[in-house]
Amino acid sequence: MPNVTVDGTEIEVPEGATVLQACELAGKEIPRFCYHERLSIAGNCRMCLVEVKPGPPKPQASCALPATEGQEIRTDSEMVKKAREGVMEFLLINHPLDCPICDQGGECDLQDQAMAYGRGYTRYDENKRAVTEKYMGPLIKTIMTRCIHCTRCVRFSEEVAGVDEIGALYRGENMQITTYLEQAAEHELSANVIDLCPVGALTSRPYAYEARPWELKKTLSIDVSDAMGSNITLCSRGREVLRVLPRINDEVNEEWITDKARYQVDGLQRRRLDKVFLRKRGKLVEGSWDEAFKAIAKAKPGKSIAAIAGDMVDCETMFAAKALVKASGSDLVESRQTGMDYPTGNLAAVNFNTSFAEIENADAVLIVGSNLRTEAALLNVRIRKAVKRGAKVFVVGPEWETTYPAEFLGDDVSVLGKLPKAVTDAFKDAERPALILGAGGLAAGAYDSALGLVETLGLVKDGWNGFNVVHTAAARMGALMLGFAQDGGIADIAKAKPKLVLALGADEVDWEPFADSLKVYIGHHGDKGAHAADIILPAASYAEKPGSYVNTEGRVQFADKAVFAPGDAREDWTILRALADALKVKVGFDNFAQLRAAMTEEVPALAVEGLADYGSLPKTGKAAKAEGKIAYPIADFYLTNPIARASTTMQRCSAELIHGEDVREAAE
Amino acid sequence: MADRAPAPDTPELRERWGGFVWTDENAEKARTFVSRYPEGRQKSAVMPLLDLAQRQVGAETNTQGWLPLPVIEYIAEYLDMPVIRVLEVATFYTMYNLAPVGRFHVQVCGTTPCMLRGSDDILEACYKRGMVKGSTSEDGLWTLTEVECMGNCATAPMVQINDGNYEDLTPERLDAVLDALAAGKQPKEGTQEPGRHTSEPSGGPTTLKEMVDANHDYRSEW
Amino acid sequence: MNFLSKIFTWWNGATIGTMLAAWRGFEHVGTDAQGNKYYRSKKKTGDGRERRWVIYEGSNDASRVPSEWHGWLHGLGEDVPESFLPPARIWETDYTPNATGTDTRYLPQGALEKGGHRARATGDYEAWSPDA
Repeated sequence: MPNVTVDGTEIEVPEGATVLQACELAGKEIPRFCYHERLSIAGNCRMCLVEVKPGPPKPQASCALPATEGQEIRTDSEMVKKAREGVMEFLLINHPLDCPICDQGGECDLQDQAMAYGRGYTRYDENKRAVTEKYMGPLIKTIMTRCIHCTRCVRFSEEVAGVDEIGALYRGENMQITTYLEQAAEHELSANVIDLCPVGALTSRPYAYEARPWELKKTLSIDVSDAMGSNITLCSRGREVLRVLPRINDEVNEEWITDKARYQVDGLQRRRLDKVFLRKRGKLVEGSWDEAFKAIAKAKPGKSIAAIAGDMVDCETMFAAKALVKASGSDLVESRQTGMDYPTGNLAAVNFNTSFAEIENADAVLIVGSNLRTEAALLNVRIRKAVKRGAKVFVVGPEWETTYPAEFLGDDVSVLGKLPKAVTDAFKDAERPALILGAGGLAAGAYDSALGLVETLGLVKDGWNGFNVVHTAAARMGALMLGFAQDGGIADIAKAKPKLVLALGADEVDWEPFADSLKVYIGHHGDKGAHAADIILPAASYAEKPGSYVNTEGRVQFADKAVFAPGDAREDWTILRALADALKVKVGFDNFAQLRAAMTEEVPALAVEGLADYGSLPKTGKAAKAEGKIAYPIADFYLTNPIARASTTMQRCSAELIHGEDVREAAE
Repeated sequence: MADRAPAPDTPELRERWGGFVWTDENAEKARTFVSRYPEGRQKSAVMPLLDLAQRQVGAETNTQGWLPLPVIEYIAEYLDMPVIRVLEVATFYTMYNLAPVGRFHVQVCGTTPCMLRGSDDILEACYKRGMVKGSTSEDGLWTLTEVECMGNCATAPMVQINDGNYEDLTPERLDAVLDALAAGKQPKEGTQEPGRHTSEPSGGPTTLKEMVDANHDYRSEW
Repeated sequence: MNFLSKIFTWWNGATIGTMLAAWRGFEHVGTDAQGNKYYRSKKKTGDGRERRWVIYEGSNDASRVPSEWHGWLHGLGEDVPESFLPPARIWETDYTPNATGTDTRYLPQGALEKGGHRARATGDYEAWSPDA
């Protein structure tokens, strides 16, 4: 623990800290462009120069200099001031003065730091350098003349995403950042380079010229495009969410989000349900709320009522639906739309027990039936970190492109019964072994045999639980906590032949068995569910209602309401409350606070933000034998939910990046 | 070298170079290069391999060779590294040619010492023979490039043609060298000044004169 | 122009009183393209200036005065504007009065009278329809 002096104050810094980190600890702001906490140190922007004694009598790049015992660091001397001014003047030599038309304006590191540390004028009157635009796909817009060559984007794609596709070509002052042959950046986290870029060289293509940062209202929310529960900020103006930015949460998403989480929001403005629809003579026609409620009451469901929740529903909605169903005297509720029927009695057995932050420390990982890149891209980043630290990874399931070395063991779950020696050896030596069971594995019936491996592979150790399930739906863990499940899955509900089925944004359900039921779709997008429904009640999307979500590791998180739902659409719980009146039952809440109170009374864990405690794993006897081919649930990463399917950006990504259509724009 | 850019990725290029593989001899050499680095660090061999590939392309086309994109991709695959990383190396070093060159790559040094000693005249002589900076002559013989310092300042001005340096040039001496090359002969490399051997002081030594013929102990004279 | 309407209305041209005053003490100077007539007082005021008037041909709307006569009314030049202003350029368009409140007024793209095609704005959304 070296002691250093920063501007006269002595502080102790952790071993291995850099001078820049020492200055930060001392509360000094060090300007920087290339340095980023989560990337390797490059030391090429030179903005973080400080004066360090002992050492050469010249300013030193603090980001690349280790803090050592007895260093005297000055960040406020005349030399440092001049050095910063000089570096800034050099950086601005080839940087265009196009801030008024630059999308980074207002949140630009270069702009801010030029104001704070620059000299305010230039002595340069030669011609500036210009660089042609590079194509980087449908999400990233490039204006490469603005690039200051910090190489953050290069390091991100190499180190975090694990897909080497961005590089720096040519040398010296001709350096240009580009992808190979200007192909589109093709991975699930590509758009994070937009946040990383300290200038306006890489900006968001769908959000180009939409708004300035100071016009936007920032609402803290939770992403629902996958079950990771990424923390996001919804940036909205008026009634529209214009963009999504990640929020830093080291426990969940660090500071990345997937491209889908970031860009599906333009789907919130398309294919919206903003009116009540009723099916009359086989055709959906516009109606009023009164008509709809009367039609539902006329069906006289009595006890024969069921609710099916979709993938993006918040806990409050599901609780309200369950309360309604319960008050009617039924218990037919289900959230696993695609027909999965794994036991839900013990929540620890369907939870990501290791937690995302801890999985980085795993030293042997067996992935069963999950394409992590499409199902939980940010978890894949964590596993990649684990592999960098020496973890061995084995995958059961069809091959997919991992971003780290991994051994595929075939796509039949029966391999779990007779694991190859390489796997058993790796797990025998492992101190922190982990098994990750994905939705594909659950669907193929690997639940029992995976649980059986807990004992065989020694997954549970002191202070370590290596049994993990990765869900694909943001609503899943919340639903399971609320008991929104049947033993036999959705088949049980179909068997009961309910008169009235409430579909809460359920778009993946096979409605064939429910032909005789009155299907009421409560949701926000006109997708498969709405087409199948008899009555459509327009509801709010995740951006338009407050709600709690539980991610796949059992982390309870709260989201706020950013904008109002369009047209006649209402928040889901109000619709269910009104429906209770129409059906003449009492659900026991009249406002949102009462609803939340009732919910947390039933499931106390939902009241506390953070990891819920599900107890220990169930004891299993002999591992049941399972057989069956694994198929991954996600065929198209960009079009997994109704919002994304409505989004033009996501459609374009899917067409270009997955289906390889050449929809490149002519050079702008 | 501001106008360097990889030759465009056209179907013709793919067709011509898509099937690039090492010749048996070069495959052997490539293995030697790779084996110089420890296991798992085989990427370090990217520079010698690029040079080898450029020479093989040169041998195939009877020129000084260059690096078409399919060849760069071949090397990336050979070393199991991302193509963009190989391309970064290939674009960084100017001695990797990104576009085809002629049989003789005439690289005239134009840095200060050579310029003071008359590199402008040397360039002029090249222009007179029909060479144009940055392009290959029509007969495919000559490619002219102006380069930065080659480290032969003591014998300036100089040109590098293929792997040989020709120093102490005057336009006449350069003409002689180029004529010889064009005639298929191999002129003497190094200094072209009669009586000079390497980069010793021209016109005889100016210091340590006693040392020319035999060892001399200067210590008593300090 | 009807004599009765002259007595009972004031919004077209001069009223009876003004006409009488003009007949007595005004000197007609000129007429613009729209037929508005311009007058000046025969007598100078106490400080040596002359007073200038316009009597509109049609509605009393100050914006109907073209710019050159507007200048004249405010004391520019001695004689009619043609006498001291350069001839009109070929690219000059005819003067038009303020169109506010008339049919020829400016209508933005999104105005209903123009078909209501406005550019996309924040908060617009595309509603789902069951036929899609």
